[in-house]
Amino acid sequence: MKKLVLAALAASAAISTPAFAAANDTGTVGVSGTVAGRCLFTTNSQTITVGELAKSGSDANAGKLDSSVLVNQTKTLVGWCNKTASTMTVTAKPMLGTTAAPNTSFDSRIDLTASAVANSQTATDGSAGETVNSYTAGSPATVGIFSGNVVVTLTGASTPNNGILTEGTYTGSVDVTLAPAV
Amino acid sequence: MKTMSLIVATALLVGAAPAALAQDSDSAKVSVTGQVAKLCVLGTPSNAVIDLGQMVDTSGARVGKRAAIGNKSVTLPGSFCNFANSVVTVNATALTADDATPAQSGFARAVNFTATASNWASTNAVATTTVDRQGAGAATTGSGSVQSLPKLADIGLTLSGYDVPGDLLLVSGGYTGSVTVTLAPEAVPAP
Repeated sequence: MKKLVLAALAASAAISTPAFAAANDTGTVGVSGTVAGRCLFTTNSQTITVGELAKSGSDANAGKLDSSVLVNQTKTLVGWCNKTASTMTVTAKPMLGTTAAPNTSFDSRIDLTASAVANSQTATDGSAGETVNSYTAGSPATVGIFSGNVVVTLTGASTPNNGILTEGTYTGSVDVTLAPAV
Repeated sequence: MKTMSLIVATALLVGAAPAALAQDSDSAKVSVTGQVAKLCVLGTPSNAVIDLGQMVDTSGARVGKRAAIGNKSVTLPGSFCNFANSVVTVNATALTADDATPAQSGFARAVNFTATASNWASTNAVATTTVDRQGAGAATTGSGSVQSLPKLADIGLTLSGYDVPGDLLLVSGGYTGSVTVTLAPEAVPAP
C-alpha cells in the first residue's frame, strides 16, 4: 500500500511539470569593453653609423662637412597603431661633436633633416636653428591604423657656419613618435 | 547585504580599468654617429719659390761676398688644424751651390739662413741652418709652442739672417735650399 502511494505522488509530479515551463523568461547580460587607442614600436632602436664626416683633400673645402656621407642614409623601425587618427612625428636632433669649436671658422654641430614614412605617410623635421636640448618635433602626419615598417631617412645635413669640423666623435638622433590622436 | 555591496564595487573598478589605458603613445630612436679625424692642412704658399736674386756684391769692398739680402716672406693662407694641441715646425736646409764641386780655399758654396714660421701659437717656430763652407751639415728643425685650440690662420714664413760661413767669397752658380713647414699634433713624450 505504501508503494502505491509513492507511485501516485511521482505520477502527480510528472504531470505538473509543464505548468512551470510556461513561467520561463529570457534575460540578457550585456558584455562591453573598450580598446584604448595605442601605438607601439616593436623595433624601437636603430643606429646609422657613418665613417669620416669631413671632406678630405687640401682645397678650400678641406675639413668641412661632407654631407653626402649622411644624406640618404636610412634605417627601418617597426611599429603599429590601432586608431584611425593616429599620428607620427619626427624630432631631428643634431650631431654634436666632442671638441668644442673655438670660433666661427669651425663647427662642432651637424644639423640634420630627416623623414619617417609609415603607412605611406611622411613626417619630417630639421634641427637647424634649434637650441641644444630644446628640440621640437616637426608637423605630425596622420598614419591611421597600420602595422609595419617606419622607414627613417636622413634627407639633409649642414653645419651652422659652413666651417671646419673639429675632430672627434659626433652623435645625434632622429626620434620618431607614434601617437593615437586624442 | 554587505557582501552584495562589495561585489558591486568590484564590478565598477573593473569597468573603470580600460579608461586608464587610453591613448598610449610610443617613441623610437635612430641614432646617428660619425667621426671627424684629426686633420691639419697647410694653405698653398703664396710663392712656391723664393728667389733671392743676386746674393753677392758685384762691386765695392765686399765684391764677391754676400750682399745685403732682405728678408723674404711667404704666406700659407687658410692653414688649419681641427683639434687642440698642435704645433708648427720648420725644417730648413741651407742654400748650397748646385755645382757639387768642392769649393777652393777662400771660397764657400753655402749660405745659411734663418726660417721663421709665425702666427700659429705664442712662440714662433725658428730654425737656423749651420752648414760649413762646403755645405756639409744637417738640416735644422725648430718648433713653435703648442696651440691649445683648433685654429685657422694664415701662417707666415720668413727667411732672414743670411750668412756665408767665414764670410768667404761665394762660388758662382745657382744655389738651392729649402724650408719645409709642418703642422702636426703635439709630440707626446715616450713613456
